[in-house]
Amino acid sequence: MFRLAVKSVKHNPKRLVLTAVAVALGVALAAATFTLTNALSGGFSKLFDEIYAGTDVIVEEAPDELGDSEDPFAATDAIFAHGDVDDVAAVDGVASAWGGRQVSGTVLAADFEPSNDVMAAGGAPSQIFNWAGDPRVDQATLIEGEGPASDDEIVLDVDAAPRLGYALGDTVSISTDIGVEEFTLVGLVRFGESNSLQGATLAYMTDARSAAINGDDGYDQISVIVEDGADASAVAEAIDEILPEGTRAITGEDKAAEQTAQFDEILQYIDIFAIAFALIALFVGAYIIVNTFRIIVTQRTREFGLLRAIGVSGRQLRTMILLEALVVAVVSATIGIVVGYLGALGLSVVVEALSGEIFGTVTLPIDAVVWGYVLGALVTIVAAIMPAIHASTISPMEALRESATESKKPLRLRNIVGGALTLLGVVAIVVGLYMGIEKPYIPVGAGAMILIIGVTLLAAQVLVPLAYALKAMLTRIFRVDGKLAANNIHREPRRSANTAAALMIGVMLLALVATFTESMKSLVTEQFQGNNADFFVFSAQGAIPEGALEVIEGEDGVAYVTSTGLGTVLLDGEATAVGVIDPDTAELAFDYNNEPDFDQMDGGAFIDPSMVDAGFEVGDELMLEGAEGTATLTVTGRYLNEGDAQVWVDEETGHALLGDYPIVQSMVVLDDGVDPEAAQDQLLDALAVDYPLLVLQSPGEFEQLANQFIDLLLGVISAMLGAALIIALLGVANTLLLSVTERTREIGLLRAVGVRRRSIRRMIRIESMVMAVFGTVLGMILGVGLGAALVRALEDFGFTTITVPWAWLALYTIAAAIAGVVAAWWPAHRAAKMDILEAIAFDG
Amino acid sequence: MTTTLIETPRTSVAVAASMRGGTKTYGHGDAEVRALDGIDVDVATGEFTAIMGPSGSGKSTLLHTLAGLDRLTAGQSWIGDQELSRLSEDKITQVRRDKIGFVFQAFNLIPSLSARENITLPLDISGRRVEQAWFDEVIGILGLGDRLTHLPAELSGGQQQRVAVARALVARPELIFADEPSGNLDSRSGGELLAFMRRAVTDFGQTIAMVTHDPTAASFADRVLFLADGRIVDEMRDPTAELVLDRMKQMGH
Repeated sequence: MFRLAVKSVKHNPKRLVLTAVAVALGVALAAATFTLTNALSGGFSKLFDEIYAGTDVIVEEAPDELGDSEDPFAATDAIFAHGDVDDVAAVDGVASAWGGRQVSGTVLAADFEPSNDVMAAGGAPSQIFNWAGDPRVDQATLIEGEGPASDDEIVLDVDAAPRLGYALGDTVSISTDIGVEEFTLVGLVRFGESNSLQGATLAYMTDARSAAINGDDGYDQISVIVEDGADASAVAEAIDEILPEGTRAITGEDKAAEQTAQFDEILQYIDIFAIAFALIALFVGAYIIVNTFRIIVTQRTREFGLLRAIGVSGRQLRTMILLEALVVAVVSATIGIVVGYLGALGLSVVVEALSGEIFGTVTLPIDAVVWGYVLGALVTIVAAIMPAIHASTISPMEALRESATESKKPLRLRNIVGGALTLLGVVAIVVGLYMGIEKPYIPVGAGAMILIIGVTLLAAQVLVPLAYALKAMLTRIFRVDGKLAANNIHREPRRSANTAAALMIGVMLLALVATFTESMKSLVTEQFQGNNADFFVFSAQGAIPEGALEVIEGEDGVAYVTSTGLGTVLLDGEATAVGVIDPDTAELAFDYNNEPDFDQMDGGAFIDPSMVDAGFEVGDELMLEGAEGTATLTVTGRYLNEGDAQVWVDEETGHALLGDYPIVQSMVVLDDGVDPEAAQDQLLDALAVDYPLLVLQSPGEFEQLANQFIDLLLGVISAMLGAALIIALLGVANTLLLSVTERTREIGLLRAVGVRRRSIRRMIRIESMVMAVFGTVLGMILGVGLGAALVRALEDFGFTTITVPWAWLALYTIAAAIAGVVAAWWPAHRAAKMDILEAIAFDG
Repeated sequence: MTTTLIETPRTSVAVAASMRGGTKTYGHGDAEVRALDGIDVDVATGEFTAIMGPSGSGKSTLLHTLAGLDRLTAGQSWIGDQELSRLSEDKITQVRRDKIGFVFQAFNLIPSLSARENITLPLDISGRRVEQAWFDEVIGILGLGDRLTHLPAELSGGQQQRVAVARALVARPELIFADEPSGNLDSRSGGELLAFMRRAVTDFGQTIAMVTHDPTAASFADRVLFLADGRIVDEMRDPTAELVLDRMKQMGH
């Protein structure tokens, strides 16, 4: 049986080519992602190994329950005093101990100009440390010039200096929290073996200067070199015993492994994200496979009848078709894996050419191979099951019939199943979105899939009257070509419906994302309606320095600056995000969605919907425990948007709990009558001296920026859906191509009675266009519906208006019609060039 | 309708296939067509039996129901001593696989398999080994030696039909059913093919039942059954083409 299956695939590979391409595309998407994330993991694991290569033991703050590491704004705390370093140095087995300190700042390029552009202010980060002079501690070796000996000297890594435009002896500017600091470049260092810094800039200054900039002479880490022959883990344990609470000693090896593991965890999410899109692509591909195999089974009815006559059982026939599917799956998955790998290789070369070495060796990971084959085989075989069952019911009598005939089965069963599935899908989605259950994405995702299948099944029924309705219209516009096209759609409603549905899925997801993002834009616009602030201050490097706010407040025409800080506290032992505002001014600058306004805070706390869900209400007492102190607060109001911070407090409480907390956003309000544009220039000029990386955005600019980010999100998701859409179009082409072959005799007859080639081409094109537009319209209805349901479900996050993306929908429809014509090109060409005599003699 | 009415006793010895009271109807009420109308027939082992009749006489239906491709509406039929109407679809498939060979008028071969693979297909399906000596002998007689690696599309009509006969013979079935095997061939190729089938019966004792409307084809048989309106109306032993033609003329063909 296996041999027969292989032979049969080999005998007529053309009809399976597009199916194979569909599977290969989906598999390639998954394989490429796995390859890239694997290479990234390799690159970073090497980086972490080098960071901790020379150091035997690292003493650092223990990862605590406050979860500082998860807070991007949390500054590394200087937790070790000079005495701690001495204590560690005195432990048995320790050869030397060095207090390390990181400086938060950005090394500016030699030709740096302040630009007030959020994108430009980002870029690869700078890593600035105090210089130990010991390569085992610094992880960097001086290869040119000298180390920083006096406080105005600095060294950079060998790649950064030319990249930023500095040579030895030049003055290097660094934007820090206390302003722009200047240094003389005295040396160049190489990080680890090959200076692979994944694009970051590495800089070292003296211990004293770094302490001055940080405003704290403590250390955030102690690097330990053990004596020759001493066991690093034993020394680490010994150090652990004398350490202050909340710190730990870990060997360099373990630390590197821990960091790699953490990084891999992040990469895993990327993998899951990519697999989701690969699955969508393959799900669409499954529709093509169903159609292809269905058509092949019809075409081979006589062959199957013959096999049945000479003693092949229905079961064996079924197995044979599934084996054929497996052969197709293995071949196309192999192609997909290779293409995915090559694609990833190509992409990595391009990315490295643009941004330096960030990937490790690009190899094909075992994950990519396993997932590729599993996904490919699973999708193909599942999709081939129904056609295979259909083949197994073919009577041996079919072998004796004159030509392949199709039995016309009524659509009743299909409609009942389709209706039931549609209903079930809708129920699952509603339950998932509105019932507040634990993992809502599971019922929503499953519901969406069931809904799609249900609608696909129902679509066949919809197509029948639709084709009749269109027949009159198409006949009027295109005469006999239009009539024949409408007839063709109606003749095989199942096949046409499946083809249209493949496109429907892709368009549905596009429409869903478009609805969601457009609603998000409406949300942004609405929020700015109650806005009174003239400027929003951002820092692309993290927190906004206090000094910068003082500069702004000191300028003429500025009425006041109000800021939002963020931090983490413990509430009943749970890490809780806390936002800090100034109740007197915050509400004047911005109309927050809260009840009552922030100025009614009265020294208490506001809570967000997630806290309300957790059972807290106005009037309750909250016991908050921060790094610097504790506070018991009365809940005085509710903040109605979820996702910003769980608890809101005033600045006094904020300081009491958190000490110096990072400021993430500030709003500037000008005096009445001051021209905002002139004021913006004036403020930027003032900031350029010490804080050139800060960005000042007017509400209009900010809204535009937010919309840009939303559009970027839409763009990325659309691109990821591209594979699914291409597959869907291949599906349209595939179905048409196969049905052209099937209708060879009929087309020959049409040509014989005088229909011109042009008309044949047009007939196929109309058929294709109608299917494409039909699939698109169905997809848009579903997508907008699901998008609206999603937006409604996210009401807690501030969504109030469902915006239908009309412009996008119009665009999609036009694109679908064009795509339909494109997809029909090859089938139409095939049909038109058919030789009349051969076509009539063709043995179906 | 009585299904157990047995008019003629079945002689179980030396009968490869038989039918008693075989009735097959299509459609209902006014549209009812009676393709077989209570047929009793025995196909003797080791004989070449031809079934003749005008179009619509039910000869193809008789072949299909005898071979287990189609089921009788009423009556019974046997392959060897297995009664088909009692068997499940799977069991009937097994009977066809193990005991019956087929040669159809057209579309006899799987297009993706070479001639050799088509010939050994029934054996491959049932997992039996090919007897090489027997295979070589059959191929030799049918003159297919240099055509074995070709695909069906690369063979002439006559060659295709010979491959079909070879397939039927190589599995050594108890009985071969042939449905107008020479119907699509020119007279020379057709004559050759029928001569081969005749030889298979004479030299190897193969049992063959063949449906045809061609008197010349029927003349290769040991015995000819004449069908009209779903009944057997006559039979003839050691026929010649002239005698068969005369008989057919009487039937108004």
